[in-house]
Amino acid sequence: MSPIGILLLFGAMAVPVVALACLRWAAKNGQLQNGDRGALLPFDFEEPLDTATDQILNRKSAKS
Amino acid sequence: MPGELADEGQRRAMLAEIDSSCRAPVLFFVISGLAWLLIGTLLALVTSIKLHSPGFLSAWDFLTFGRVRPAHLNAVIYGFASQTGIAVTIWLMCRLCRVPLISGGLVILAAIFWNLGLTIGLIGILAGDSTAIEWLELPGYSTPILFFSYALVAVWSIITFRLRRESHLYVSQWYLLGAILWFPWLYATAQIMLILEPVRGTVQAAINWWFAHNVLGLWFTPIGLAAIYYFIPKVIGRPIHSYYLSVLGFWSLALFYNWNGLHHLIGGPMPAWMITVSVVASVMMLIPVITVAINHHFTMVGHFGKLRYSPTLRFVVVGALCYTATSLQGVANSLRSYSEIVHFTHHTIAHAHLGLYGFFTMVMFGSLYYIIPRISGREWPSLGLISIHFWGCFLGLVLYVVPLSYGGILQGLAMNDATIPFMKVVEGTLPWLKLRTVAGLLMALGHVAFVGNLVWLLARVFGPYRKPVVAILSGTETPAIAGK
Repeated sequence: MSPIGILLLFGAMAVPVVALACLRWAAKNGQLQNGDRGALLPFDFEEPLDTATDQILNRKSAKS
Repeated sequence: MPGELADEGQRRAMLAEIDSSCRAPVLFFVISGLAWLLIGTLLALVTSIKLHSPGFLSAWDFLTFGRVRPAHLNAVIYGFASQTGIAVTIWLMCRLCRVPLISGGLVILAAIFWNLGLTIGLIGILAGDSTAIEWLELPGYSTPILFFSYALVAVWSIITFRLRRESHLYVSQWYLLGAILWFPWLYATAQIMLILEPVRGTVQAAINWWFAHNVLGLWFTPIGLAAIYYFIPKVIGRPIHSYYLSVLGFWSLALFYNWNGLHHLIGGPMPAWMITVSVVASVMMLIPVITVAINHHFTMVGHFGKLRYSPTLRFVVVGALCYTATSLQGVANSLRSYSEIVHFTHHTIAHAHLGLYGFFTMVMFGSLYYIIPRISGREWPSLGLISIHFWGCFLGLVLYVVPLSYGGILQGLAMNDATIPFMKVVEGTLPWLKLRTVAGLLMALGHVAFVGNLVWLLARVFGPYRKPVVAILSGTETPAIAGK
């Protein structure tokens, strides 16, 4: 087999290996538990939970 | 996690720093991406007109259908979609990792090389140097530049991920990291096996469709879904319906999508088992698609009224609906009995546009409506242009997809009927093709409105009215973003 063929074979084998390693890492580090914490990650002090953002087409509030 | 921020003041300061650090690299990718969108749209219109009026602009070699069509495809795929996708990825990664953008110069260098490689490649295609391999038409002398540029972005993403201040990952990060790692694998493998050291015979077709299908599913789709999972909760102020379901959606996409591409070769000279594996994997895609659809729908329940006021939500929700629609259509297309009718028809073109335009492009537009005011410190200047953008793109999309899908089925049924002469079948497609051009004009109107609004916004940031913005950038004034 040519060196490029070996490289491609290695690459094809590496993809599922890396995926499994990521899954194992996620399970070990609690990434697959505590979904409530994960779900709240997009929110922050500037744009907190229960606050709608990007309502710019609401002309009244845009004017005020 | 080392470096996690403790108090509220620090977090507020960090958020401002993240947005300001993203400004130059994200704007560079966005502006160049939108420039390619306008070029790609123009090429698309020329291509579309040629389908029903073949004599249109046929006097010049470089404007013949065989050159303009791949030039359009590559301009929108690698010029617009990939660059806006990278811009959105950069901003989302920084926001979710809670770290300012590091090595901004490296990212800008990547953007410069990306545009350089693409410009050389597109000139090559128009000059007649296309490889004639679908989705990989860029000549071999331009792709190493693109690959180098991409490597810079990928390295930057991994470094940013390593330096994150938030230990828990949001589902969008899973999707973004997946896209960042999948794309170089797909692109390098296809380049090596089709351009550098080409494999022989029908294996070329298998590699071609493995790549072309996966670019949609493992590059654009994860970025689009990452954006949807971030922006819907963010705009409505409510967390995603089921976080666990979203993670299940990611891992099932990772498991099944890679096998899908060969359903494009149903009826071709390929081993039957390869096609069958692909058909089975395509049907299994119902799992991630339905999980994503359920999650998006139940997150939005009770908040549909916000669609009236948020351009981000409008575009992103339309994109999410199109994701479900195009995925279900894709599952149907993969079945042998259905493929026998719609294969080699305009139905496939409608399907591809429902995915790349209806889903990905609409989500990217929505994302930019959210990101750009935050990184520039200026709100969108014209609400009218936002409406023209949305309705132009939305109506254009409907007028494009519905007639071509329907016309494609009629075309397929007619082609399978041996008593109908082929030219009669071709003539039967003309009304649908003319509607396609009208749809393209509506989309073009939307694109021009969006670019006009962005230019107007940037003129306020960098033009004669820039003084207040300087105050914003220097931190002496807080940017006023409507809706907060």
